[in-house]
Amino acid sequence: GIPIRTTLDNSTSVQYAGLLHQLTMKARSTVRDIDPQNDLTFLRIRSKKHEIMVAPDKDYLLIVIQNPCE
Amino acid sequence: HGNPPRGQGELAGPRPPASLAAMFADGTAPGADVESLWRSAWSARCEAKSCQTVRISTVESAAQSHTSRDAGVQTDQSKDAVQDFQQEVRVDYTSLLSFLQRVEDAVIKELNKNWKSRAFDGFEVNWTDQNETVLCLHTLSYPEAQDQNLQVTSVSWNATGSVVACSYGRLEGGDWSTEKSYVCTWNLDRRGLNPQRPDLVVDVPSSVMGLAFHPSQPSLIAGGLFSGELVVWDTSRTEDPVIWRTGLTGDTHTDPVYQVTWLPDAKHRNRSRLLSVSTDGKILVWREEQDGRLALAEGFAMVAQQIPRSTRLKKFPWGEAAVGVTSLSFSHFDPRVFVVGVEGGYSLKCSTAAATPALHGAGGSVPLRAPAELAFSPHSGPIYSVSCSPFHRRVLGIGSGAARWTQNLFLSCGTDGQVHLHSMLQTQPIVSLQLSKKYLFCVRWSPVRPLVFAAASGEGNCNKCFWFTGDVHLFDFEKSSHKPALSLKQAAGERPVYCLEFNVKQSRLLAAGDATGAVRVWQLSSDFTEQGPREMSRLEQLASEVMD
Repeated sequence: GIPIRTTLDNSTSVQYAGLLHQLTMKARSTVRDIDPQNDLTFLRIRSKKHEIMVAPDKDYLLIVIQNPCE
Repeated sequence: HGNPPRGQGELAGPRPPASLAAMFADGTAPGADVESLWRSAWSARCEAKSCQTVRISTVESAAQSHTSRDAGVQTDQSKDAVQDFQQEVRVDYTSLLSFLQRVEDAVIKELNKNWKSRAFDGFEVNWTDQNETVLCLHTLSYPEAQDQNLQVTSVSWNATGSVVACSYGRLEGGDWSTEKSYVCTWNLDRRGLNPQRPDLVVDVPSSVMGLAFHPSQPSLIAGGLFSGELVVWDTSRTEDPVIWRTGLTGDTHTDPVYQVTWLPDAKHRNRSRLLSVSTDGKILVWREEQDGRLALAEGFAMVAQQIPRSTRLKKFPWGEAAVGVTSLSFSHFDPRVFVVGVEGGYSLKCSTAAATPALHGAGGSVPLRAPAELAFSPHSGPIYSVSCSPFHRRVLGIGSGAARWTQNLFLSCGTDGQVHLHSMLQTQPIVSLQLSKKYLFCVRWSPVRPLVFAAASGEGNCNKCFWFTGDVHLFDFEKSSHKPALSLKQAAGERPVYCLEFNVKQSRLLAAGDATGAVRVWQLSSDFTEQGPREMSRLEQLASEVMD
């Protein structure tokens, strides 16, 4: 994916865009393989340091990175 | 009578009578030769007769680029290989807007839920095998050096993290001896590793006091000698590993070089410069020359009168304060800022961009500058080691017009057995720890955990320290702010540990060299190598605890 609008710096945005696009495609194909009538609506990845949320669409992806406040 | 020409044989027989002598006399005649006419005749008569092709008329119509600009180099190590993406994208803004309106609610709902969620409290996943204990993997030594009672003065890991090198010399009672010393390297990943036999031993004519491997080329290693010289060895060369040396010129240090560091060169990406630090007060930067020499590129000198004073520091007889520099550490986020520790017991924040010339007496080929900007509150003894923290956060919030940087923290340790944690913005230390009653020779931040550092301690007048028996102290701010999390006993008896280095590539390994001439490679437990989830914020909290 190519970043269109971002609040992070260039290199990080490009990295996130590329990697998460591939992961979203893989997640979507996993969901549809299990049940062809189903489709991916939202993807959340939780890591030690933060949580990454991806809202997918036909042409665009919205990626949000949040520091959970614990 | 003409004299017969010399070189001609005299007539063997009796001389002819005088009248006949005029007729028959010796003489030489030049040989007669006939010049060759063939070659010259041919060339003499050569001329252009006619041309088969019509003469081409050319005229310069246009040039593709009349200004040239360096676009890129194929083999350059460039950090930002990313092109500017905003020029290439053609975006349909209406469909983007409708997409954003569609997903906006869902995303905001999730963000709010997350913020209030307690679902993952205390949930931790173990991806690697937990290693509970710290054990000593190897004890490396060079028996010949140990027989001469040499001590390990410095250790260094190479760029790939598999080779450890140590230098032998003498740290106590050094005089201008021409004692030979050694630099030994061991490759820990090799199968047939013999701890008593180094893979490479380099004989050095003088004691090596500081050692540093090149940060990206795994075979280059630089050493600073007791005589003030610097030498660079290439461990991949079998016959003579020396590739560059400074020699003893008017520019070299007049005191032992205690630390060498490689600096990335701003102009040539893949070349580096060497920086050396010595107790004569000079900090010199060297570049490589063609003939195997190291030439002085720029330099700094610390002179007592030019040290900036802070009004909050105690009264100090500044004129007598020694400014022999013993250690140096560069800041990890601003490559021009560095911290030095001096024999007078205080640490200084300096900058390579300083422009004031130093009041240094001795003339050298390059004018020296005074780099000091800020003096921090002193220890009660010489500082032996400083180390800047490799952890920092990016700029937060540029919105209100002010960019807030995180302060850069650094540690300093010295003969008073204390470790001071300083922030570069204020002169008083944030935390001051009495780690040991003995001298502390070296302190290093851990490269993976922001709250952990290690300190090497040793000799000194120690009456009775019953609880700090070890020689390598590992400190963890998360566990305790007063005493070490773990103390490792390096050598039997009271032999001090002089140097230690973390392995950046294999984050579990820590190498420490001691006065018995052995280097111990410790494998740390996973407590010390895995970063917890909130360590950075804890570090921030610690750093802002004492702020004006």
